[in-house]
Amino acid sequence: MAKIIVVTSGKGGVGKTTTSASLSVGLATRGFKTAVIDFDIGLRNLDLIMGVERRVVYDFVNVIRGESTLNQALIRDKHHKELCILPASQTRDKDALTEEGVAAVLEELGKSFDYIVCDSPAGIERGAQLAMYFADIAIVVTNPEVSSVRDSDRMLGLLSSKTKRAEEGRAPISEHLLLTRYCPKRVSNGDMLSLSDVNEILAIPLLGVIPESPAVLRASNSGVPVIDDTESDAGQAYADAVARLLGEDVPFRFLEEKPHWIKRLFSFKERETV
Amino acid sequence: MTESTVAAEQGVCFQLKTSFLPCTTLQLLRYDLDELAAQLNASVQRAPTFFIGSPIVLDLESVKNLGNLDFNRIKQIIIANNMVPIGIRGGTEAQSMAAANAGMPTLILSKATAQSAASTAKTSTPAKPATPALPTKLITTPIRSGMQIYAKDSDLIVMSSVSAGAELLADGHIHIYGTLRGRALAGVQGNTDARIFCRSLEAELVAIAGYYLMKEDIQDTCKQAEMVQVYFENEQVKIAAL
Repeated sequence: MAKIIVVTSGKGGVGKTTTSASLSVGLATRGFKTAVIDFDIGLRNLDLIMGVERRVVYDFVNVIRGESTLNQALIRDKHHKELCILPASQTRDKDALTEEGVAAVLEELGKSFDYIVCDSPAGIERGAQLAMYFADIAIVVTNPEVSSVRDSDRMLGLLSSKTKRAEEGRAPISEHLLLTRYCPKRVSNGDMLSLSDVNEILAIPLLGVIPESPAVLRASNSGVPVIDDTESDAGQAYADAVARLLGEDVPFRFLEEKPHWIKRLFSFKERETV
Repeated sequence: MTESTVAAEQGVCFQLKTSFLPCTTLQLLRYDLDELAAQLNASVQRAPTFFIGSPIVLDLESVKNLGNLDFNRIKQIIIANNMVPIGIRGGTEAQSMAAANAGMPTLILSKATAQSAASTAKTSTPAKPATPALPTKLITTPIRSGMQIYAKDSDLIVMSSVSAGAELLADGHIHIYGTLRGRALAGVQGNTDARIFCRSLEAELVAIAGYYLMKEDIQDTCKQAEMVQVYFENEQVKIAAL
């Protein structure tokens, strides 16, 4: 049976779709058969971020309503053969989703995939609720910013109460924090919440810290998930996060400012005189 | 129209109603009135406003065998400390007569009311009879934004932090062994003795029996890192370091 991962946040625009894309590519690269589903009915973006927008024929809602089979709707990724994408409908809205329909799709996917990544929409309405309802693992994407932290906190409350695992009294969903758009320079001059500030409020295990990076915008515009940009800091941070999700112990990078070359020069001189 | 207005209209002059009025017993242990005056004054000074207007029953059990006492002076001492002497109990017949002459008649309290008179709780309004207490509600997981917890007929203990946007309600006390960033409302059914205890107070709002303090009022009163208790006294919600 596949492990279902929900990528959620509450707040919009924090990096859920970016994360879902990179996460699923990262898992597929490691050899796991991965499916990624866009739950944002009516405002689909996952297909754009993954570069498959020109190949969308059938979508998630078509499958739920029996208008197509799952195989007809799934799009096989050209660069990663273990990865499939199930796009959302653009013409319908979240009311088209039903609990039974979603359950049936997840069950069918579960037969042939190892991981199913559910890209949740923003908010706490039906789309977000259904994306998290069947999850085993939750990745709560948060920006180091007060409204994002509060919304993520709310989301954590919902994850512990309004999911199948909670309702059936099974082991709780495994929650992880992914801090995105982190800028160490702004943290040190006090503009931005630090990792420890966020941890103090959310208090869940940290999966990764993704630095603010121009590579993310380049990646979305070119339809290539940023994890494939192996030279970029964001791409490498995502790769580290995937490793940690799979149980590896990887030290956190990109938490400190890169010292300016003049500072590095002076610190070299200091070491000489000592 | 209330029941009493209807009754008054029909010519009925009074209604007898049972109320539970907790009052304080002053047990006289040693008959030394100068010392009594000084010691009572010192006691009251420790919490001056707490005793204002308190009904006082003078208990003579320990000085029963001392014969006549200067009840006028005792009454004056009590009044001088802003308390209201309403009567005596536990004295001999002679003492009772002397006390009555001084304006402090003997109260015949039934067993039930004697017990409540012995309690040191002080309110100026009739208190509700205590609701049956259930075991304290204990929560160990973090309370997230948007969650609402109500401990009906009991106290509430939370062993983690309470996020902004969360609400804790209890009929009894609330203990938070963590940081309170949300709202805490104790004694929601009207129990003004309920208190809120927490390790660090950064709350949006705290309330006891409906009387509340907002974040701006709280910030002036205490530093954030201190362990504090929030209690109700003299129609005001107060915060004190623990």
